[in-house]
Amino acid sequence: MIGHWFWWALSLACLLWYCTITVYVAIKGVMDIRRMLQRLRERNAAPPGGASPIKK
Amino acid sequence: MIGTNFTFLDGTIVGLYLLGTMAAGLMVRKYVGNVEAFLIAGREMDVYLGIASLAATEFGIVTAMYTAQNGYQFGFAGATPGIITAAAMLFVGVTGFCVKPLRDAGVTTIPELFEHKFGPRVRWASGVVIVLGGLLNMGVFLRTGGEFLILVSGGNINYLELIMSLLLIAVAVYTVLGGMLSVLVTDFLQFVVMSVGLIIVTVMIFLRVGWGSLADAVMRHYGNGGFNPFVNPNMGWPYVLFNLFLNLAAVLTWQTTISRLLAAKDTKTGLKIYKGTSFFFVCRFLIPGIWGIAALATLSPGIVGTDTLHAMPRFLAFFVPAGVMGILVAAMLAADMSTDSSYMLAWGSVIYNDILAPFRKKPWSEKKGLFWNRTIVALIGVFLLFYGLWYPLKGDLWTYLGVTGTIYLSSMSVLLIACCYWKKANNWGATASITVGAAIPFSFLVLQQLESTRPLMEKIGPYFSGIAAYVCTAAAMVIGSLMKTSQDHQGEQRL
Repeated sequence: MIGHWFWWALSLACLLWYCTITVYVAIKGVMDIRRMLQRLRERNAAPPGGASPIKK
Repeated sequence: MIGTNFTFLDGTIVGLYLLGTMAAGLMVRKYVGNVEAFLIAGREMDVYLGIASLAATEFGIVTAMYTAQNGYQFGFAGATPGIITAAAMLFVGVTGFCVKPLRDAGVTTIPELFEHKFGPRVRWASGVVIVLGGLLNMGVFLRTGGEFLILVSGGNINYLELIMSLLLIAVAVYTVLGGMLSVLVTDFLQFVVMSVGLIIVTVMIFLRVGWGSLADAVMRHYGNGGFNPFVNPNMGWPYVLFNLFLNLAAVLTWQTTISRLLAAKDTKTGLKIYKGTSFFFVCRFLIPGIWGIAALATLSPGIVGTDTLHAMPRFLAFFVPAGVMGILVAAMLAADMSTDSSYMLAWGSVIYNDILAPFRKKPWSEKKGLFWNRTIVALIGVFLLFYGLWYPLKGDLWTYLGVTGTIYLSSMSVLLIACCYWKKANNWGATASITVGAAIPFSFLVLQQLESTRPLMEKIGPYFSGIAAYVCTAAAMVIGSLMKTSQDHQGEQRL
Protein backbone atom coordinates (compact mmCIF):
# COMPACT_ATOMS: atom_id res chain seq x y z
CA MET A 1 0.00 0.00 0.00
CA ILE A 2 1.33 3.41 -1.01
CA GLY A 3 -0.16 5.02 2.11
CA HIS A 4 1.84 2.71 4.40
CA TRP A 5 5.12 3.45 2.62
CA PHE A 6 4.49 7.18 2.55
CA TRP A 7 3.92 7.39 6.29
CA TRP A 8 6.72 4.93 7.04
CA ALA A 9 9.21 7.06 5.05
CA LEU A 10 7.89 10.25 6.63
CA SER A 11 8.17 8.79 10.16
CA LEU A 12 11.77 7.78 9.54
CA ALA A 13 12.53 11.21 8.07
CA CYS A 14 11.14 12.80 11.27
CA LEU A 15 13.39 10.68 13.48
CA LEU A 16 16.38 11.42 11.26
CA TRP A 17 15.56 15.15 11.31
CA TYR A 18 15.39 15.19 15.10
CA CYS A 19 18.57 13.13 15.56
CA THR A 20 20.65 15.35 13.27
CA ILE A 21 19.12 18.79 13.75
CA THR A 22 19.08 18.53 17.54
CA VAL A 23 22.84 17.94 17.70
CA TYR A 24 23.61 20.59 15.06
CA VAL A 25 21.30 23.23 16.55
CA ALA A 26 22.52 22.41 20.09
CA ILE A 27 26.13 23.17 19.12
CA LYS A 28 25.44 26.20 16.91
CA GLY A 29 22.77 27.55 19.28
CA VAL A 30 25.27 27.85 22.16
CA MET A 31 27.43 30.05 19.94
CA ASP A 32 24.38 32.13 18.98
CA ILE A 33 23.53 32.69 22.66
CA ARG A 34 27.11 33.73 23.47
CA ARG A 35 27.20 36.21 20.58
CA MET A 36 23.74 37.59 21.44
CA LEU A 37 24.66 38.18 25.09
CA GLN A 38 28.03 39.67 24.08
CA ARG A 39 26.32 42.20 21.80
CA LEU A 40 23.75 43.08 24.46
CA ARG A 41 26.52 43.48 27.06
CA GLU A 42 28.37 45.87 24.75
CA ARG A 43 25.20 47.80 24.05
CA ASN A 44 24.36 48.13 27.75
CA ALA A 45 27.94 49.15 28.58
CA ALA A 46 28.06 51.89 25.93
CA PRO A 47 28.18 55.40 27.47
CA PRO A 48 24.99 57.50 27.35
CA GLY A 49 24.52 58.95 23.91
CA GLY A 50 27.11 56.57 22.52
CA ALA A 51 24.88 53.50 22.45
CA SER A 52 24.35 51.80 19.12
CA PRO A 53 21.05 52.81 17.52
CA ILE A 54 17.99 50.60 18.04
CA LYS A 55 17.79 48.02 15.32
CA LYS A 56 14.94 48.20 12.88
CA MET B 1 -6.82 2.31 36.13
CA ILE B 2 -3.32 1.23 35.09
CA GLY B 3 -0.04 1.74 36.96
CA THR B 4 2.93 3.90 36.10
CA ASN B 5 6.69 3.44 36.02
CA PHE B 6 7.44 6.86 37.53
CA THR B 7 9.95 6.37 40.38
CA PHE B 8 12.13 8.43 42.75
CA LEU B 9 14.91 8.41 40.14
CA ASP B 10 12.54 9.96 37.60
CA GLY B 11 11.47 12.58 40.11
CA THR B 12 15.16 13.48 40.67
CA ILE B 13 15.75 13.88 36.91
CA VAL B 14 12.72 16.16 36.65
CA GLY B 15 13.80 18.21 39.70
CA LEU B 16 17.31 18.72 38.30
CA TYR B 17 15.92 19.78 34.96
CA LEU B 18 13.60 22.33 36.59
CA LEU B 19 16.45 23.79 38.67
CA GLY B 20 18.69 24.08 35.60
CA THR B 21 16.00 25.83 33.56
CA MET B 22 15.11 28.30 36.30
CA ALA B 23 18.79 29.13 36.85
CA ALA B 24 19.38 29.73 33.13
CA GLY B 25 16.22 31.82 32.80
CA LEU B 26 17.10 34.01 35.77
CA MET B 27 20.78 34.45 34.86
CA VAL B 28 20.09 36.46 31.71
CA ARG B 29 17.72 38.95 33.35
CA LYS B 30 20.62 41.37 33.89
CA TYR B 31 20.81 41.98 30.13
CA VAL B 32 17.28 43.39 30.05
CA GLY B 33 17.90 47.12 30.05
CA ASN B 34 14.95 48.35 28.00
CA VAL B 35 11.58 47.40 26.50
CA GLU B 36 13.12 46.34 23.20
CA ALA B 37 15.40 43.84 24.94
CA PHE B 38 12.44 42.58 27.00
CA LEU B 39 10.06 42.08 24.08
CA ILE B 40 12.29 41.14 21.13
CA ALA B 41 15.73 40.45 22.67
CA GLY B 42 17.09 43.67 21.17
CA ARG B 43 16.71 42.05 17.71
CA GLU B 44 19.92 40.11 18.30
CA MET B 45 18.69 36.56 17.73
CA ASP B 46 20.56 34.44 15.18
CA VAL B 47 19.41 31.47 13.05
CA TYR B 48 20.10 28.42 15.23
CA LEU B 49 18.82 29.96 18.43
CA GLY B 50 15.76 31.03 16.42
CA ILE B 51 15.16 27.50 15.13
CA ALA B 52 15.51 26.01 18.63
CA SER B 53 13.27 28.66 20.15
CA LEU B 54 10.54 28.41 17.53
CA ALA B 55 10.56 24.61 17.64
CA ALA B 56 10.40 24.59 21.45
CA THR B 57 7.66 27.22 21.55
CA GLU B 58 5.44 25.49 19.03
CA PHE B 59 5.62 22.16 20.86
CA GLY B 60 4.00 22.06 24.28
CA ILE B 61 2.32 19.25 26.23
CA VAL B 62 -0.90 20.52 24.71
CA THR B 63 0.62 19.95 21.24
CA ALA B 64 1.65 16.41 22.13
CA MET B 65 -1.84 15.78 23.51
CA TYR B 66 -3.86 17.00 20.52
CA THR B 67 -1.54 15.53 17.90
CA ALA B 68 -1.59 12.19 19.74
CA GLN B 69 -5.38 12.48 19.93
CA ASN B 70 -5.37 13.06 16.15
CA GLY B 71 -3.26 9.92 15.73
CA TYR B 72 -5.61 7.91 17.96
CA GLN B 73 -8.79 9.22 16.27
CA PHE B 74 -7.70 9.51 12.63
CA GLY B 75 -4.59 7.30 12.30
CA PHE B 76 -1.68 8.63 10.24
CA ALA B 77 -4.07 10.93 8.38
CA GLY B 78 -4.27 12.92 11.63
CA ALA B 79 -0.79 14.29 10.85
CA THR B 80 -2.11 16.09 7.74
CA PRO B 81 -2.10 19.56 9.42
CA GLY B 82 1.62 19.11 10.11
CA ILE B 83 2.39 18.50 6.44
CA ILE B 84 0.30 21.52 5.45
CA THR B 85 2.08 23.74 8.01
CA ALA B 86 5.51 22.55 6.87
CA ALA B 87 4.63 23.34 3.25
CA ALA B 88 3.35 26.79 4.28
CA MET B 89 6.49 27.54 6.34
CA LEU B 90 8.75 26.52 3.44
CA PHE B 91 6.71 28.58 0.94
CA VAL B 92 6.83 31.67 3.15
CA GLY B 93 10.52 31.14 4.00
CA VAL B 94 11.52 30.81 0.34
CA THR B 95 9.34 33.59 -1.09
CA GLY B 96 9.25 35.96 1.90
CA PHE B 97 5.49 36.26 1.27
CA CYS B 98 4.20 38.93 3.70
CA VAL B 99 6.90 38.29 6.31
CA LYS B 100 9.62 40.09 4.31
CA PRO B 101 7.78 43.43 4.17
CA LEU B 102 6.72 42.88 7.80
CA ARG B 103 10.30 42.40 9.05
CA ASP B 104 11.65 45.13 6.75
CA ALA B 105 9.20 47.60 8.33
CA GLY B 106 11.07 47.24 11.66
CA VAL B 107 7.88 47.00 13.74
CA THR B 108 7.48 45.20 17.08
CA THR B 109 4.06 43.65 16.38
CA ILE B 110 1.78 43.09 13.37
CA PRO B 111 -0.84 45.70 14.46
CA GLU B 112 1.92 48.32 14.48
CA LEU B 113 2.40 47.65 10.75
CA PHE B 114 -1.35 47.95 10.19
CA GLU B 115 -1.36 51.46 11.65
CA HIS B 116 0.75 52.66 8.68
CA LYS B 117 -1.91 51.48 6.22
CA PHE B 118 -5.22 51.41 8.11
CA GLY B 119 -4.81 53.96 10.93
CA PRO B 120 -4.60 53.78 14.76
CA ARG B 121 -8.13 52.43 15.36
CA VAL B 122 -7.48 49.36 13.24
CA ARG B 123 -4.19 48.88 15.08
CA TRP B 124 -6.04 48.93 18.40
CA ALA B 125 -8.85 46.61 17.21
CA SER B 126 -6.26 44.22 15.76
CA GLY B 127 -4.51 44.12 19.11
CA VAL B 128 -7.79 43.30 20.87
CA VAL B 129 -8.69 40.35 18.59
CA ILE B 130 -5.14 39.01 18.66
CA VAL B 131 -5.16 38.97 22.45
CA LEU B 132 -8.73 37.64 22.67
CA GLY B 133 -8.08 34.75 20.27
CA GLY B 134 -4.64 34.06 21.70
CA LEU B 135 -5.69 33.95 25.34
CA LEU B 136 -8.78 31.81 24.65
CA ASN B 137 -6.48 29.49 22.73
CA MET B 138 -3.91 29.33 25.47
CA GLY B 139 -6.58 28.95 28.15
CA VAL B 140 -6.69 25.16 27.80
CA PHE B 141 -2.92 24.66 27.91
CA LEU B 142 -2.59 24.39 31.67
CA ARG B 143 -5.32 21.87 32.38
CA THR B 144 -4.32 19.68 29.45
CA GLY B 145 -0.68 19.79 30.52
CA GLY B 146 -1.65 18.97 34.09
CA GLU B 147 -3.76 16.00 32.97
CA PHE B 148 -0.81 14.62 31.01
CA LEU B 149 1.60 14.93 33.94
CA ILE B 150 -0.85 13.35 36.41
CA LEU B 151 -1.70 10.43 34.10
CA VAL B 152 1.92 9.69 33.18
CA SER B 153 3.40 10.03 36.66
CA GLY B 154 0.46 8.36 38.42
CA GLY B 155 -0.10 11.38 40.67
CA ASN B 156 -3.30 12.25 42.49
CA ILE B 157 -5.81 14.08 40.23
CA ASN B 158 -6.64 16.35 43.20
CA TYR B 159 -3.17 17.86 42.89
CA LEU B 160 -3.70 18.86 39.25
CA GLU B 161 -4.52 22.50 40.05
CA LEU B 162 -1.60 22.74 42.46
CA ILE B 163 0.87 21.33 39.91
CA MET B 164 -0.50 23.65 37.22
CA SER B 165 -0.19 26.66 39.49
CA LEU B 166 3.39 25.87 40.56
CA LEU B 167 4.48 25.28 36.97
CA LEU B 168 2.93 28.53 35.84
CA ILE B 169 4.51 30.48 38.70
CA ALA B 170 7.94 29.06 37.85
CA VAL B 171 7.54 30.02 34.20
CA ALA B 172 6.10 33.44 35.06
CA VAL B 173 9.03 34.27 37.37
CA TYR B 174 11.70 33.98 34.69
CA THR B 175 9.49 35.41 31.94
CA VAL B 176 8.53 38.45 34.03
CA LEU B 177 12.16 39.13 34.97
CA GLY B 178 14.00 38.24 31.77
CA GLY B 179 11.39 38.67 29.03
CA MET B 180 12.36 37.42 25.57
CA LEU B 181 16.01 36.87 26.60
CA SER B 182 15.01 34.39 29.30
CA VAL B 183 12.50 32.84 26.91
CA LEU B 184 15.15 32.31 24.22
CA VAL B 185 17.77 30.82 26.54
CA THR B 186 15.32 28.51 28.32
CA ASP B 187 13.73 27.61 24.96
CA PHE B 188 17.13 26.49 23.76
CA LEU B 189 17.66 24.20 26.77
CA GLN B 190 14.10 22.97 26.48
CA PHE B 191 14.52 22.20 22.77
CA VAL B 192 17.47 19.92 23.53
CA VAL B 193 15.79 18.13 26.47
CA MET B 194 12.50 17.83 24.56
CA SER B 195 14.17 16.39 21.46
CA VAL B 196 16.06 13.75 23.47
CA GLY B 197 12.81 12.63 25.12
CA LEU B 198 10.89 12.53 21.83
CA ILE B 199 13.59 10.52 20.06
CA ILE B 200 14.00 7.94 22.86
CA VAL B 201 10.26 7.26 23.26
CA THR B 202 9.61 7.07 19.50
CA VAL B 203 12.54 4.69 18.89
CA MET B 204 11.26 2.52 21.76
CA ILE B 205 7.82 2.39 20.14
CA PHE B 206 9.29 1.36 16.79
CA LEU B 207 11.39 -1.36 18.45
CA ARG B 208 8.85 -2.72 20.95
CA VAL B 209 5.47 -2.16 19.28
CA GLY B 210 6.75 -2.29 15.70
CA TRP B 211 5.75 -0.50 12.52
CA GLY B 212 3.65 -3.49 11.37
CA SER B 213 1.47 -3.37 14.50
CA LEU B 214 0.99 0.40 14.17
CA ALA B 215 -0.04 0.19 10.51
CA ASP B 216 -2.28 -2.85 11.19
CA ALA B 217 -4.05 -1.05 14.05
CA VAL B 218 -4.76 1.97 11.84
CA MET B 219 -5.99 -0.25 8.99
CA ARG B 220 -8.20 -2.30 11.33
CA HIS B 221 -9.85 0.75 12.93
CA TYR B 222 -10.02 3.25 10.07
CA GLY B 223 -9.28 1.42 6.82
CA ASN B 224 -7.75 3.56 4.06
CA GLY B 225 -9.15 6.64 5.83
CA GLY B 226 -6.42 6.19 8.43
CA PHE B 227 -3.80 6.89 5.78
CA ASN B 228 -5.60 9.32 3.49
CA PRO B 229 -7.57 12.27 4.96
CA PHE B 230 -9.68 12.70 1.83
CA VAL B 231 -11.30 9.25 2.21
CA ASN B 232 -11.67 9.45 6.00
CA PRO B 233 -15.39 9.98 6.79
CA ASN B 234 -14.58 12.22 9.79
CA MET B 235 -12.14 14.39 7.86
CA GLY B 236 -12.60 14.76 4.10
CA TRP B 237 -11.97 17.90 2.08
CA PRO B 238 -13.55 20.30 4.64
CA TYR B 239 -10.94 19.22 7.22
CA VAL B 240 -8.07 19.61 4.76
CA LEU B 241 -9.32 22.97 3.44
CA PHE B 242 -9.92 24.37 6.94
CA ASN B 243 -6.42 23.31 7.98
CA LEU B 244 -4.96 24.81 4.82
CA PHE B 245 -6.47 28.22 5.65
CA LEU B 246 -5.71 27.88 9.35
CA ASN B 247 -2.08 26.86 9.02
CA LEU B 248 -1.18 29.34 6.28
CA ALA B 249 -2.74 32.08 8.41
CA ALA B 250 -0.84 30.83 11.49
CA VAL B 251 2.46 30.80 9.64
CA LEU B 252 1.87 34.41 8.56
CA THR B 253 0.45 35.89 11.75
CA TRP B 254 0.69 33.61 14.81
CA GLN B 255 2.17 35.97 17.36
CA THR B 256 4.76 33.57 18.80
CA THR B 257 6.06 32.72 15.32
CA ILE B 258 6.07 36.35 14.27
CA SER B 259 7.88 37.45 17.43
CA ARG B 260 10.76 35.11 16.38
CA LEU B 261 10.80 36.74 12.96
CA LEU B 262 10.83 40.21 14.53
CA ALA B 263 13.50 39.26 17.08
CA ALA B 264 15.79 38.00 14.28
CA LYS B 265 18.80 40.20 13.63
CA ASP B 266 17.69 40.84 10.02
CA THR B 267 15.13 39.75 7.41
CA LYS B 268 17.43 37.16 5.85
CA THR B 269 17.90 35.49 9.25
CA GLY B 270 14.13 35.52 9.80
CA LEU B 271 13.53 33.75 6.48
CA LYS B 272 16.24 31.19 7.26
CA ILE B 273 14.47 30.40 10.55
CA TYR B 274 11.24 29.77 8.59
CA LYS B 275 12.97 27.43 6.14
CA GLY B 276 15.04 25.68 8.81
CA THR B 277 12.03 25.02 11.04
CA SER B 278 9.59 23.98 8.29
CA PHE B 279 10.10 20.20 8.48
CA PHE B 280 9.84 20.34 12.25
CA PHE B 281 6.11 20.93 11.80
CA VAL B 282 5.73 17.49 10.21
CA CYS B 283 7.55 15.98 13.22
CA ARG B 284 5.38 18.04 15.55
CA PHE B 285 2.27 16.22 14.34
CA LEU B 286 3.66 12.84 13.32
CA ILE B 287 5.83 11.88 16.31
CA PRO B 288 3.14 12.32 19.00
CA GLY B 289 0.68 10.99 16.40
CA ILE B 290 2.69 7.76 16.41
CA TRP B 291 2.42 7.71 20.22
CA GLY B 292 -1.36 8.01 19.86
CA ILE B 293 -1.41 5.22 17.27
CA ALA B 294 0.71 3.07 19.63
CA ALA B 295 -2.02 3.61 22.25
CA LEU B 296 -4.60 2.52 19.66
CA ALA B 297 -2.56 -0.61 18.92
CA THR B 298 -1.91 -1.65 22.51
CA LEU B 299 -4.71 -0.37 24.79
CA SER B 300 -8.23 -1.72 25.01
CA PRO B 301 -11.06 0.86 24.72
CA GLY B 302 -11.96 0.12 28.35
CA ILE B 303 -8.59 1.43 29.56
CA VAL B 304 -8.72 4.53 27.36
CA GLY B 305 -12.24 5.44 28.44
CA THR B 306 -14.42 7.99 26.67
CA ASP B 307 -11.84 10.78 26.49
CA THR B 308 -9.45 9.93 23.65
CA LEU B 309 -7.21 12.81 24.77
CA HIS B 310 -6.03 10.55 27.62
CA ALA B 311 -5.12 7.57 25.43
CA MET B 312 -1.49 8.60 24.82
CA PRO B 313 -0.54 9.45 28.44
CA ARG B 314 -2.21 6.25 29.66
CA PHE B 315 -0.12 4.31 27.12
CA LEU B 316 3.13 6.05 28.11
CA ALA B 317 2.45 5.48 31.83
CA PHE B 318 2.95 1.73 31.46
CA PHE B 319 5.11 1.61 28.32
CA VAL B 320 8.02 3.85 29.33
CA PRO B 321 10.37 2.24 31.87
CA ALA B 322 11.70 3.88 35.05
CA GLY B 323 14.63 6.21 34.34
CA VAL B 324 13.41 6.95 30.82
CA MET B 325 10.15 8.12 32.41
CA GLY B 326 12.06 10.94 34.13
CA ILE B 327 13.54 12.01 30.79
CA LEU B 328 10.08 11.88 29.21
CA VAL B 329 8.44 13.99 31.93
CA ALA B 330 11.38 16.45 31.88
CA ALA B 331 11.02 16.63 28.09
CA MET B 332 7.31 17.31 28.30
CA LEU B 333 7.78 19.86 31.08
CA ALA B 334 10.42 21.49 28.88
CA ALA B 335 7.97 21.57 26.01
CA ASP B 336 5.25 23.06 28.17
CA MET B 337 7.37 25.68 29.91
CA SER B 338 8.83 26.99 26.66
CA THR B 339 5.34 27.26 25.17
CA ASP B 340 3.80 28.97 28.22
CA SER B 341 6.60 31.52 28.57
CA SER B 342 6.63 32.43 24.88
CA TYR B 343 2.86 32.69 24.69
CA MET B 344 2.61 34.92 27.77
CA LEU B 345 5.27 37.21 26.36
CA ALA B 346 3.79 37.22 22.85
CA TRP B 347 0.29 38.27 23.93
CA GLY B 348 1.77 40.63 26.52
CA SER B 349 3.77 42.40 23.82
CA VAL B 350 0.56 43.06 21.84
CA ILE B 351 -1.26 44.39 24.92
CA TYR B 352 1.61 46.76 25.70
CA ASN B 353 2.52 47.79 22.17
CA ASP B 354 -0.92 48.07 20.58
CA ILE B 355 -3.82 48.00 23.07
CA LEU B 356 -2.14 50.40 25.49
CA ALA B 357 -0.78 52.57 22.64
CA PRO B 358 -3.62 55.16 22.85
CA PHE B 359 -2.84 55.64 26.55
CA ARG B 360 0.76 56.61 25.82
CA LYS B 361 0.27 60.17 24.61
CA LYS B 362 3.87 60.88 25.56
CA PRO B 363 6.56 58.18 25.28
CA TRP B 364 7.01 56.26 28.51
CA SER B 365 10.40 55.92 30.15
CA GLU B 366 12.15 52.56 29.73
CA LYS B 367 11.64 51.91 33.45
CA LYS B 368 7.90 52.52 33.25
CA GLY B 369 7.65 50.48 30.04
CA LEU B 370 9.45 47.53 31.64
CA PHE B 371 7.24 47.76 34.71
CA TRP B 372 4.07 47.62 32.62
CA ASN B 373 5.35 44.79 30.43
CA ARG B 374 6.21 42.72 33.49
CA THR B 375 2.85 43.50 35.09
CA ILE B 376 0.98 42.47 31.92
CA VAL B 377 2.83 39.14 31.71
CA ALA B 378 2.03 38.47 35.39
CA LEU B 379 -1.67 39.33 34.84
CA ILE B 380 -1.83 37.00 31.83
CA GLY B 381 -0.52 34.27 34.14
CA VAL B 382 -3.32 34.98 36.63
CA PHE B 383 -5.94 34.92 33.84
CA LEU B 384 -4.64 31.59 32.55
CA LEU B 385 -4.82 30.06 35.97
CA PHE B 386 -8.51 30.91 36.40
CA TYR B 387 -9.69 30.41 32.81
CA GLY B 388 -7.80 27.12 32.60
CA LEU B 389 -9.66 25.83 35.64
CA TRP B 390 -13.26 26.46 34.62
CA TYR B 391 -13.55 26.22 30.81
CA PRO B 392 -15.23 22.89 29.88
CA LEU B 393 -13.65 21.65 26.65
CA LYS B 394 -16.15 20.35 24.06
CA GLY B 395 -15.06 18.22 21.10
CA ASP B 396 -11.47 17.49 20.18
CA LEU B 397 -8.67 19.73 21.35
CA TRP B 398 -7.13 20.53 17.94
CA THR B 399 -10.48 21.76 16.69
CA TYR B 400 -10.98 23.98 19.78
CA LEU B 401 -7.53 25.46 19.22
CA GLY B 402 -8.29 25.92 15.53
CA VAL B 403 -11.61 27.66 16.19
CA THR B 404 -10.25 30.01 18.90
CA GLY B 405 -7.17 30.74 16.78
CA THR B 406 -9.41 31.59 13.84
CA ILE B 407 -10.91 34.48 15.89
CA TYR B 408 -7.85 36.45 14.92
CA LEU B 409 -5.98 34.35 12.37
CA SER B 410 -8.66 34.84 9.70
CA SER B 411 -8.77 38.64 9.89
CA MET B 412 -5.09 39.23 10.67
CA SER B 413 -3.90 37.11 7.74
CA VAL B 414 -6.32 38.88 5.39
CA LEU B 415 -5.23 42.30 6.73
CA LEU B 416 -1.56 41.40 6.41
CA ILE B 417 -1.87 40.19 2.83
CA ALA B 418 -3.97 43.23 1.89
CA CYS B 419 -1.62 45.59 3.73
CA CYS B 420 1.43 44.23 1.89
CA TYR B 421 0.03 43.62 -1.59
CA TRP B 422 -3.30 45.42 -2.26
CA LYS B 423 -3.14 49.15 -2.85
CA LYS B 424 -6.92 49.65 -2.61
CA ALA B 425 -7.16 48.08 0.88
CA ASN B 426 -8.30 50.63 3.47
CA ASN B 427 -9.67 50.99 7.00
CA TRP B 428 -13.29 50.19 6.02
CA GLY B 429 -12.24 46.85 4.61
CA ALA B 430 -9.97 46.22 7.61
CA THR B 431 -12.73 46.99 10.14
CA ALA B 432 -15.26 44.80 8.32
CA SER B 433 -12.69 42.04 8.11
CA ILE B 434 -11.86 42.11 11.84
CA THR B 435 -15.56 42.14 12.79
CA VAL B 436 -16.55 39.23 10.54
CA GLY B 437 -13.40 37.24 11.34
CA ALA B 438 -14.06 37.41 15.09
CA ALA B 439 -17.86 37.07 14.96
CA ILE B 440 -18.09 33.72 13.14
CA PRO B 441 -15.76 31.57 15.29
CA PHE B 442 -16.78 33.36 18.52
CA SER B 443 -20.47 32.71 17.77
CA PHE B 444 -19.67 29.09 17.02
CA LEU B 445 -17.92 28.69 20.39
CA VAL B 446 -20.76 30.31 22.35
CA LEU B 447 -23.59 28.50 20.48
CA GLN B 448 -21.73 25.22 20.95
CA GLN B 449 -22.00 25.68 24.73
CA LEU B 450 -25.79 26.33 24.70
CA GLU B 451 -28.11 23.32 24.93
CA SER B 452 -30.64 24.76 22.47
CA THR B 453 -28.17 25.52 19.68
CA ARG B 454 -25.69 22.68 20.17
CA PRO B 455 -27.38 20.28 17.67
CA LEU B 456 -27.27 22.94 14.94
CA MET B 457 -23.60 23.68 15.66
CA GLU B 458 -22.81 19.97 15.52
CA LYS B 459 -24.55 19.80 12.15
CA ILE B 460 -22.53 22.73 10.77
CA GLY B 461 -19.35 21.50 12.41
CA PRO B 462 -16.10 23.34 13.13
CA TYR B 463 -14.60 22.81 9.68
CA PHE B 464 -17.37 24.54 7.71
CA SER B 465 -17.57 27.26 10.38
CA GLY B 466 -13.81 27.77 10.09
CA ILE B 467 -13.83 27.82 6.27
CA ALA B 468 -16.70 30.32 6.35
CA ALA B 469 -14.70 32.58 8.68
CA TYR B 470 -11.73 32.76 6.28
CA VAL B 471 -13.81 33.18 3.10
CA CYS B 472 -16.19 35.78 4.60
CA THR B 473 -13.30 37.71 6.17
CA ALA B 474 -11.56 38.02 2.80
CA ALA B 475 -14.87 39.01 1.17
CA ALA B 476 -15.44 41.65 3.90
CA MET B 477 -12.03 43.16 3.19
CA VAL B 478 -12.73 43.40 -0.54
CA ILE B 479 -16.31 44.70 -0.19
CA GLY B 480 -15.49 47.17 2.61
CA SER B 481 -12.46 48.59 0.80
CA LEU B 482 -14.28 48.93 -2.52
CA MET B 483 -17.25 50.62 -0.81
CA LYS B 484 -14.99 53.29 0.66
CA THR B 485 -13.13 53.71 -2.63
CA SER B 486 -16.47 54.08 -4.41
CA GLN B 487 -17.76 56.64 -1.86
CA ASP B 488 -14.52 58.64 -2.04
CA HIS B 489 -14.78 58.58 -5.82
CA GLN B 490 -18.39 59.83 -5.70
CA GLY B 491 -17.38 62.59 -3.26
CA GLU B 492 -14.61 63.73 -5.61
CA GLN B 493 -17.07 63.83 -8.52
CA ARG B 494 -19.53 65.99 -6.51
CA LEU B 495 -16.73 68.44 -5.70
